Amino acid sequence: MDVRELAMQQLKTVIDPELGINVVDLGLIYDLKIENGHIDVLMTLTTPGCPLHDSIAGGVKRALEQIAGIRDVRVQVTWNPPWTPERMSEEALRQLGYFA
Amino acid sequence: MSNVFPTRTGTETDVRLPFSFITFAVLSFVASQVLLLTVIPSLASGAFRLPLVWAAAHLGLLGFALMTAMGAMYQLVPVAFLTPIWSVRLGFWQFAVTAIGIVAFAISLAAAPTRAFLPGLLLLLGIVLFVWQMAMTLRKQETKNVMTLFVATSLLFLLLTAAAGGLLAFHFFAATGADSHETAFVLHVLFGLCGWFTLLIIGFSYKMAPMFSLAHGFSLRPARCVYALYTSGIAVSLLHLFLPGQVWLMVGTALLTSGFTVFAWHIRTILQKRMKKALDRPFQFSVTAVAIGLALHAAALAAIMIGSGRWIGIIIYLSAVGWIGFSIIGYLFKIVPFLWWTHRYSEKVGQQHVPTLKQMMNERAVAVQCRLWLAALALAAVALATASVPLLAVAQVLLAGLSVAFAGTMLAVFRK
Repeated sequence: MDVRELAMQQLKTVIDPELGINVVDLGLIYDLKIENGHIDVLMTLTTPGCPLHDSIAGGVKRALEQIAGIRDVRVQVTWNPPWTPERMSEEALRQLGYFA
Repeated sequence: MSNVFPTRTGTETDVRLPFSFITFAVLSFVASQVLLLTVIPSLASGAFRLPLVWAAAHLGLLGFALMTAMGAMYQLVPVAFLTPIWSVRLGFWQFAVTAIGIVAFAISLAAAPTRAFLPGLLLLLGIVLFVWQMAMTLRKQETKNVMTLFVATSLLFLLLTAAAGGLLAFHFFAATGADSHETAFVLHVLFGLCGWFTLLIIGFSYKMAPMFSLAHGFSLRPARCVYALYTSGIAVSLLHLFLPGQVWLMVGTALLTSGFTVFAWHIRTILQKRMKKALDRPFQFSVTAVAIGLALHAAALAAIMIGSGRWIGIIIYLSAVGWIGFSIIGYLFKIVPFLWWTHRYSEKVGQQHVPTLKQMMNERAVAVQCRLWLAALALAAVALATASVPLLAVAQVLLAGLSVAFAGTMLAVFRK
C-alpha cells in the first residue's frame, strides 16, 4: 500500500462527532500533498465557525503523524471553495438517512 | 478554580468558563421549580405578584435561563463569530459577581423584597460586565452578519431589562414611584422576554439549526425581515405605555407575532434543506419550542384583542417555560455533551476511537424527558386556564421532578 492510500485510510478514522461520519466520506479533504516525509493537507469543514474546528483539524494532523516515515504534517483549513453536500460519498449520504 | 479542565487555545474556549455558568444554571433550575411547588394555589388563581413567585421566577429566568445564555455565549460566540473572547479572566470574575448577585437577589425577593435593591446592584454589575465583555468581543469581529445584529440588539435589551428591574427594586426599597411602577414592570417583562431572550434565541438559532441539521443552500435574507418586524413590534408596544388606547399594544403585538411567524417559517425552510434526515431528539425539542413560541405569540395577540388581562399573565408564564425554557433545555442537551466531549476526547481524535456526541447521553432517557416536558406544559396550561389547583399541583410536581431528572442527565454526561 502506498503512502497516499495509507494516509486516506488513516483519515477515515477521523470522524465528525456530531454526524458520526469520517472526514473523507464527508468530502472535507480537498487536497493531500505528500513529499519526502511531509504531508500538506488542504481541508474544509461543513460550516465556517464550526465548534469542532480544532478537534477535527487536530485529529487529521494526529492521524497522519502516525504513518511510519512521516515527519511533518501541516493542515490548512480553507472556506474557498465552500463545502457543499455534493462532496459527500454515497456512504455518508446513507449514514445521514438520505436513502431511507 | 481547580485544574480539572486544562486550558485550551485556538478557537476553543477554556471549558471551565461555560461549565461554571451551566452548572450553576442547572442547580438554579431545580431550586426554582421546587420553590414554585410552595405557591401553587396562588398561581392557579392568577396571582403572580408574590415574593415567593418573584424569587422562583428570577431563579428560573436569571439563575437558569440568563446564566445558561451567558455560559453558552462564552462557548458559542468565539466559534460562531470567529472571534476569541475579549478577556477570559474577566469572564470568571463576571461569573462570580453574577452568581452571588442572583443568589442574594432571589433570597431577598423571597424574604425581604423591599431590600432586594442592594443585592440587585451586584447582579446589575454582573450583567454590565457581561455586556461589556460581549460588546468588546463583537467589536473585534471582522465581518458582521445578521446574527451579530440579533445578538448585539439582545445585549442592549439585556441592559434595558436590568435597568427596568433595578427601577422596580428601587421603588420597593425607597417606597416611592408607585405611579410609574406598572410602566416599569411592563418594560421589564417586554424587554426581558421579547428583547433579550427571544432575539438572542432567534439569532443563535440561525447558527444552530443549519449546524445540527446539516442544512445547505438556504437564504438568510428573511432573517432581516424577522429582525425588522420583531424590533418594530417591541418599539410599537412601548408606545402603548405612553399613548392612550389599546391600539398601539395591538399593533405592536401583531408586529411581534408577524416577526415570529416569519422566523418559524424561515426555520422550517432551512430544515427542508437539511442533509441529516433524522434530527436528534434534543434539537427536535428546540424546534418544538419554536412552534410553542409561535402559538403563544398568536394567543397573546388574541388575548389583547379580546382584552383579557388574566390570559396575558398565563401566556407570559407559558412563554417563559415553553418557548424560552424549552429552547434552552433542548440546546443544553446538545451543548453540555459537546463541552464534555471537547474536554475529554478532542485531543484523542485521530489517535484512538472516540464516541460521537450522540453517544455521550442516554438518548432514550432524553426522548422520554422531552415528551414529559411537553405533557407538563400542556397540563400547566389547562390548569391555569381552568384555575384548577389540583391540576396545577400535578403539573408543577411533574416540572419539578423533570428539572431534577434534567440535572441528573447533565451530571451523567460527566461519567462518559
